[in-house]
Amino acid sequence: MTNRETPESIVSNLDERSLLIKQQRQTISELETPVIQVWDGILAAPIVGGLDTARAQQLNESLLERVVASGSEIVILDITGVPVVDTSVAKHLLETVTAARLLGAEVLIVGLSPRTALTLVHLGLDLSGVTTRATMARGLQLAFARLGLEVVRRNGLAGLPPGADGLSV
Amino acid sequence: MGAVPIIRLGTTLIATVQEDMRDGDALALQNDLVVLLDRSDINGVLLDVSVLSMVDSFLARMINDIASLVKLMGAHTVLVGIQPAVAITLVELGMELRGVRTALTPERGLALIQRLSAAENGQRRDGH
Repeated sequence: MTNRETPESIVSNLDERSLLIKQQRQTISELETPVIQVWDGILAAPIVGGLDTARAQQLNESLLERVVASGSEIVILDITGVPVVDTSVAKHLLETVTAARLLGAEVLIVGLSPRTALTLVHLGLDLSGVTTRATMARGLQLAFARLGLEVVRRNGLAGLPPGADGLSV
Repeated sequence: MGAVPIIRLGTTLIATVQEDMRDGDALALQNDLVVLLDRSDINGVLLDVSVLSMVDSFLARMINDIASLVKLMGAHTVLVGIQPAVAITLVELGMELRGVRTALTPERGLALIQRLSAAENGQRRDGH
């Protein structure tokens, strides 16, 4: 049995599909640039995948809104998941750093591989205003230092046993 | 519109920039700052631009001029209240306002001014 689509139903399907694609694109976009509050005053934004102009713009908007809303002075931008850092990506990152600085927040870039670092050096970009660390852990360490915080080992006990929630005395 | 109110809080001047600033207003603000900087011992100027939904090259130049003026007087300028959309536009237009410090809130701006002047005067405060 043949199932011929009418012109009207074809157009209607296309409309539905393009709406669906638009919605999915929006969802993917939101999933790809999450902004996480890792501590009071510290936001983390892991970037996975490429950073084109559209994503950079989306990142800036959501990041800056969160900076103001949460009153966070430090943003850790993790580019471990960015496969290629070329001039264009570097420029986007610099724009994020500058925009956040205008708000009164500092951006730390972490997850830079030595290979990427060398590429950036060879590209001759001025990265003097950017603070970077190799890993998120080091970035967090610096963020704590900036905020005057220190992580110390508890005296005596070796810490909480597994399963303890640390909330009840 | 019109005069920018300036409040003195200890050794800090707080200027709250209004919407629709014109050339005359910018000059008046700078003149007012000159008078106040002359009158008393001022460590810093807090420039509050939170009301501005847009900062064009004119306002950017005014901010830079104020920062330069204040620096020549040996004090610090801290900008607070830049809205995210404004920050993005400024960066896109290449107006980065280098040489002007910024803070997230007026409280932190005031604290920053105090830290900067304390550091300059060689005083050390616990916790900073």
